[in-house]
Amino acid sequence: MKKWMIYWQIIVSTMTLQMKQSFARPMFRFCLICNPIVNTIFLYEMFLTKGPDAFLNHVVLGAGLMGIWGCICFSSVGDINRERWSGTLPLIYVAPGGFGLIVFGKVFGNTIMSLLTFVLSYVTAGVISGQWLYIVNIGYFLVSMVLMIVCFVVVSLCFAYIMMLSRKTELYMNLIEIPLVFICGFTFPVEVLPEWAQAISNLLAPTWAARLLRMSVGQVDKSVYVECTGILVIELLLMVLFTIGLYHWMDKRIRIRATLEVS
Amino acid sequence: MDTVIEVKDVKRDYITTKGWFLRKKKTLTAVDGINFCVNRGEIFGLLGENGAGKTTTIKMLITLLAPTAGVCKVLGFDTYKEADKIRGEINFVFGGEMGVYRRLSARDNLLYFAGLYKIKGKEAKKRTEELLKLVELEDAADRLVETYSKGMIQRLQIARGLINNPKIVFMDEPTVGLDPIGANMLRDIIRKLKEEGRTVLLTTHYMQEADELCDRIAIINKGKMIAMDTPENLKKSYGEKGMDSTLEQVFLALVKKEGV
Repeated sequence: MKKWMIYWQIIVSTMTLQMKQSFARPMFRFCLICNPIVNTIFLYEMFLTKGPDAFLNHVVLGAGLMGIWGCICFSSVGDINRERWSGTLPLIYVAPGGFGLIVFGKVFGNTIMSLLTFVLSYVTAGVISGQWLYIVNIGYFLVSMVLMIVCFVVVSLCFAYIMMLSRKTELYMNLIEIPLVFICGFTFPVEVLPEWAQAISNLLAPTWAARLLRMSVGQVDKSVYVECTGILVIELLLMVLFTIGLYHWMDKRIRIRATLEVS
Repeated sequence: MDTVIEVKDVKRDYITTKGWFLRKKKTLTAVDGINFCVNRGEIFGLLGENGAGKTTTIKMLITLLAPTAGVCKVLGFDTYKEADKIRGEINFVFGGEMGVYRRLSARDNLLYFAGLYKIKGKEAKKRTEELLKLVELEDAADRLVETYSKGMIQRLQIARGLINNPKIVFMDEPTVGLDPIGANMLRDIIRKLKEEGRTVLLTTHYMQEADELCDRIAIINKGKMIAMDTPENLKKSYGEKGMDSTLEQVFLALVKKEGV
């Protein structure tokens, strides 16, 4: 068997396992199904007077982005802790398939499954408003969606590796969930934030992924879209490099600090 | 004889910190300069009280932990710096009910781990069936593990630990939680592994089991090695003169002598 086929087999089997395991957990089902529906209803009420553009941008996409980020926090990132408590973390860590690849499979499986939050937000918004939203530029929208998936996979990988170093994962994942929703402008434009906060927003790849997604559902200014895509790609590349470095550093540190198991 | 495990002056400290601002460090030495070698095809026992450093030693050998000092080699490779060269050739079984995916069936657990050990599709299925038969879980193979008894989970752990046909198997109290039939089955598996030329490093609290299975035994107390020899020689050297001492008596005498 060729090397890439072995890697592919590991990613697919991990994705499948992850999807089965995640869906079996009530918390994940809540994040995946209930959360986007409830968020859509509340956001709809909040943006009721802001016109149709805000409705599409901030209600449907906002609830979808909040939902996907919630699933990532409580599954992709939280999974490290679950594996730790079930005693399987050391097993997958020393498996010759490669721990990095296994975590990637988990994160990718979760992110793909979490896309359901967008579908649910779309359907909920349609049902409560009686208006069915129409995407003008399907091509731009698909490109934005792919970039958003890549962005969330990279962000989740980075957080998952950081969580390997600590046993206080649950505390941290609760700490990162809501601030990221605000600072990356998932539910409202980052322009309403103070300037210092906007500077932080612009350094974070999910801000640009959310911006691109918003742009792609309305009238697209090609030059602005290309500029935003460029910034997102650069930020993602930097983050990939940081994540690779982090993985190698973490690989050494966790064996020194003994954080793979529950003490 | 061919040495497959080499432990030289190995030390392992655990450092814990307390507090947010004035962080206080506390160092606990779990393994304190132990030395031993294990030969190919040997069943080697590590005995000691709870907290003696047996599990920490195994964790360093299976590349899970870095030694604080000393040399830890498996199959000639450093367990910290050359972990990737070791991982495919070894496997381990930890006692207890952890280390399996409870929301999957036994078959799915084994197939998943086969994939992680880079075993190809058909071969993985064949190996899974063989192992399910070996640990007598064929009838329950498609049930979710969360419905299993403690002993069944432990048997599944054993099957998982053999999925890659390892050259060396590390077993940390593998008979904990097993009923006499399950424990006997495991002892037969260990003997079979030896017949096949595989090496087993075993820790156990059951002295009779160690006496029956191990070619050589090392006794650890408070992270230090206090004796190492064949079970017969240990009984001869440290047993009561003129009496047929058991390994348990020898163990108790040695540990008491060193001070608990």
